[in-house]
Amino acid sequence: MTAGAIWVLLTIIAELSFTSLNIFGDAASEQGEFIDDAFVLLMLLAIPILTFVITMIGYVFFKFRAKGDELEDSAPTRTHTKWVGFWLIWTTVLCLVVIVHPGYTGLLEIRQTSAEEPDLTVNVTGRRWQWMYEYEGRGVQLLMKDDTLVLPNHSLIRFNITAEDQDVIHSFWIPAFRMKIDAVPGLTTYMDVNTTEIGHFNDDVNFRVQCAELCGKDHSLMFTRVEVVEPAEFEQWITNR
Amino acid sequence: MPLVRGAIYAVIGFVIGAGISLGITSITGEDSTEPLIVLGYVFAVIGWLMGVGMWRTWGRGWFGKPTENNPGGGWERYIRFNTDHKVIGIQYVVIFVVVFLLAGLLAMLIRVELADAGQNVMTSTNFNTTMSLHGIMMIAVAVAIMMGGFANYVLPLIIGAEDVAFPRVNALSFWVVPPVVVLLLLSPLFGGFDTGWTAYPPLATQTPIGGLLFELAFLTFGISSILGGLNFIATIITQRAPGMTWGRLPIFAWAVLAASVISLTATQWVAYGMLMIIFERIFNMVFFSPPGGNALLYEHVFWFYSHPAVYIMILPAFGAELEIISHFARKPLFAYRWVVRAFGLIVFLSFLVWAHHLFTSGMGDELHGPFMVLTELISIPTGIVFLSALGTLWRSKIRLKVPLLFAVGVVFNFTIGGLTGIFLADVATDIALQDTYFVVAHFHYTIMGGEIFGAFAAGYYWFPKITGRMYNETLGRIHFALMFIFFNITFLAMFIPGTVGMNRRIAEYPPEFEFMNLVTTIASIGLGLAFVPWVYNMLNSWIRGPKAPDNPWDAKTLEWQTSSPPPLENFEEMPTVTGDAYGYGDESVVHSVFGRRKGSAHPPVPAEGD
Amino acid sequence: MTQHVPQFVNHRFNSLDINRLGLWLFLVSDASFFIALLSSRFFVVGTNTPEHVDQLLGLSLTILLLLSSLSAYKAEAAFEHGDIPGAKNMLLATIGMGILFVFGVGYEWHEAFKHFPPSTGFGTILFTLTGVHVTHVLTGVLTLGFVFFRIRNTTAIGDNQFAVEGAVKWWHFVDVAWVFIYPTLYLIR
Ligand code: HEA
Ligand code: HEA
Ligand code: CUA
Ligand SMILES: [Cu+2]
Repeated sequence: MTAGAIWVLLTIIAELSFTSLNIFGDAASEQGEFIDDAFVLLMLLAIPILTFVITMIGYVFFKFRAKGDELEDSAPTRTHTKWVGFWLIWTTVLCLVVIVHPGYTGLLEIRQTSAEEPDLTVNVTGRRWQWMYEYEGRGVQLLMKDDTLVLPNHSLIRFNITAEDQDVIHSFWIPAFRMKIDAVPGLTTYMDVNTTEIGHFNDDVNFRVQCAELCGKDHSLMFTRVEVVEPAEFEQWITNR
Repeated sequence: MPLVRGAIYAVIGFVIGAGISLGITSITGEDSTEPLIVLGYVFAVIGWLMGVGMWRTWGRGWFGKPTENNPGGGWERYIRFNTDHKVIGIQYVVIFVVVFLLAGLLAMLIRVELADAGQNVMTSTNFNTTMSLHGIMMIAVAVAIMMGGFANYVLPLIIGAEDVAFPRVNALSFWVVPPVVVLLLLSPLFGGFDTGWTAYPPLATQTPIGGLLFELAFLTFGISSILGGLNFIATIITQRAPGMTWGRLPIFAWAVLAASVISLTATQWVAYGMLMIIFERIFNMVFFSPPGGNALLYEHVFWFYSHPAVYIMILPAFGAELEIISHFARKPLFAYRWVVRAFGLIVFLSFLVWAHHLFTSGMGDELHGPFMVLTELISIPTGIVFLSALGTLWRSKIRLKVPLLFAVGVVFNFTIGGLTGIFLADVATDIALQDTYFVVAHFHYTIMGGEIFGAFAAGYYWFPKITGRMYNETLGRIHFALMFIFFNITFLAMFIPGTVGMNRRIAEYPPEFEFMNLVTTIASIGLGLAFVPWVYNMLNSWIRGPKAPDNPWDAKTLEWQTSSPPPLENFEEMPTVTGDAYGYGDESVVHSVFGRRKGSAHPPVPAEGD
Repeated sequence: MTQHVPQFVNHRFNSLDINRLGLWLFLVSDASFFIALLSSRFFVVGTNTPEHVDQLLGLSLTILLLLSSLSAYKAEAAFEHGDIPGAKNMLLATIGMGILFVFGVGYEWHEAFKHFPPSTGFGTILFTLTGVHVTHVLTGVLTLGFVFFRIRNTTAIGDNQFAVEGAVKWWHFVDVAWVFIYPTLYLIR
């Protein structure tokens, strides 16, 4: 009883403090919003398990101690069919729940755009230690490390990603969109994002393309600034280049 | 001096191998350095093994000559090829504790570099080498400290055997470890390797010689691990004391058996992974580089080993944890049979989940779903271990000694480590979290919080048996308190930069993440200092601690029913097992009776009746 | 409650049983390595097999190895019947075929260098698969040779039983491995 009450109390406190704490800023893409929600949901589900373990440990240490150094055996309970069954059922149910949501729903969310025609296609090539971009059909290329990758807001953007043939594996990651995929020599991968917010690297470091696969010396510096602007502004930018 | 002889033979071996290699490359006209190192190394290892005593204790027998076995006691037996599993266990523990401390010092270096955003003490190349070396050395510790160290010492005792099934193979699997350590420590002098412990090609095929040394080291370590696993399986099948039925086997032995199955089969894959890299380096093959090759091949092969390998680490730690909890709670292990089933299921599933490390690698989309599902299913059998631990503690009579504190520490830490694993198993969240500090925090929670805490539990628990002396309880508690608190601050703080966008394996990072990193760095120094009382306690107690009784914990398993430390062949009188090992509070269950003289016929054995 | 049951005695397993078990475990482990090898073929070059692979050579190598397995089996059988000279003849035949096989692979490599050197996808696979396998064959030849000399002067079967049995079993394993490598390398289109 007491243990149960402590557990409920701890859980409520932990859940409340977690939800009141907005750890990550807003995601700047539809996919990212889903991912953030999934993270929060998993956290809400994980907290009761953790508090349960904490309560149990605290409680047994407090309640079931041997007196002094006395050697005393406990009642020889070897197992308890009901508890084992109960445990198996709740873990299995929980497991199935997270497999369906955010598991399968997440897979669908990330792939739902794959059959659609994107508003903008960007071909990305990684090489040690910089990214190169080509806006497909728009005649714009960004080949310098200091260039800013400008993207239109409220658009479906498809990145086709690869790495140069004799190079190594990199990973194309834009933290603000929460999305990443590796750039592998000899293989073209793709990543779709629906942008939802404008933003600039200078205001939020997560607006950057960061290499997320160890690629040698300057791996940590292999990033590009990202700026998401309104579509009209984007067209302007394209024509200016 | 076997060590000196080993070193000399190793040098001779190296010269021979290098000479052969030079001869070949001078004919084919290829670049000679790397083939020379590979062939030289192979011969050097053979020379080393023969020099440290394998020739005398084993090799001569192949040619029908008499061999000499385990000459005498004294400390010298610890530095030669010795087939006593207790000696080998101690050899493993000592060498890997040293590696652990060295790798921990490297971690301190990493943390100092990461204390603020810019470059502090190292160039990024040096940082990468430091980080990779920390990773691989710690992984080696994690794979070997429980299996090579404690399982070697305890397993034959706990099942009532005189030794393992293949004592000489056992010695062999230890003596290939020193070359591994030497190679890893040498690698920074040869340009280091900046590939992380995972060594993904094509990067890994382009590193300086240091990378080649790493690959050879990993390969050699794999051989040790395979032979160790083979030995444990054969030992558990064939060497159990009379009456030690499967249903009476202590849970630690089950855990070792489960982990051994993985080491026996999966380790071959990492050997192949390393071989492919070496072949690509020295024969210009094209496994990984286009045209022709495919970089994902390595990732699949590597994780087909390295995922199951995490269960080689954690399963024996679970075994020790449950063992300790039952003996210190003085209550039968809760749901013993379910735990055994769970171990089996974990082993089975562990082979089917490797691609959860590849969700963002560009592998086929259709693979995401199945691997996500299988990975999340592992939480069900793992949950059983928690049920058993908590169920045993419930309504028990707990004696709060240091081993128990560490064992319960495992329960707490691994809950966090395991639950964050679910975040990574979910494809959507993993796409955001892959290769960030969230992953780093996850695996420090599972490996350090789970396995290393388990290893410390085992270390304190079996210390009196191994050394014959008692450690200092107060110092042990101080060690636990410091380690537990600082461990949790260090790595809880690490989840946050991971979640908000800091990736791993970087020497410099955006200043926005500075605060949490500083917290981690400060706490990690506290964590480092936590090991000072431990080192002192262990050394001091080993040398002049009070003599320990044979069975200081009043535990029922067989290793406590012989002297501390046990005699050469473990038991003066052979045990006969008559009941399971956890019969606390139940007078009718007697685990073992002694009185049978060695080599005598065996009395009838009571069945496993319930 | 106490009843008489078959005894679980450490000495229920004699050293021959233990050695057998050890060998089997080792074979399981090594088989795992070969699975890795075989699967990499499909990963690197899919099911492509270039025209230039010498089908005749592949087939003859396979037949050669199967025959050697037969003679190895005969050697073991003869040994068990105490027919040491017969066993030695058969061992010699096996070793001879093994060495021939090694030369066959050498020839194959010689040819392969012309059409698909190690720096091509198929070459990578061919040299790796045959290379690893031929290393196994060499260890097999060495063990068999070793056994050949070990049983020179003795009729004490018990002492050498495992040496013979183990070496022969190892040889069978190496053959079986080839039985999988052969179609993977040559026959698949
Ligand atoms: C001892 C080592 C160990 C252990 C035991 C685990 C256990 C698990 N790990 Fe972890 N992992 C590592 C060591 C370990 N891991 C390492 C070293 C890496 C990184 C390697 C690198 O890249 O360098 C890694 C990386 C890693 C990844 C890849 C991350 C990435 O790079 O993107 C994933 C993804 O799925 C993952 C998942 C899991 C899961 C699901 C478990 C599960 O086994 C956990 C199961 C346990 C629980 C869930 C908790 C207890 C259960 C209950 C209380 C029951 C109720 C719970 C539920 C129903 C959910 N791990
Ligand atoms: C067993 C596994 C294990 C253990 C125990 C640890 C322990 C620690 N690890 Fe490590 N770690 C890994 C396995 C492990 N690690 C792996 C596999 C990687 C991945 C590498 C890769 O990406 O490839 C990694 C990576 C890793 C990183 C990420 C690097 C990066 O991505 O850039 C960091 C960063 O903080 C870190 C920190 C630490 C710290 C602070 C500890 C602390 O717990 C250390 C505590 C300190 C000590 C144990 C030593 C102190 C002792 C003394 C001072 C006593 C005096 C000394 C003597 C008497 C000789 N580790
Ligand atoms: Cu490119 Cu890391
Ligand atoms: Cu894994």
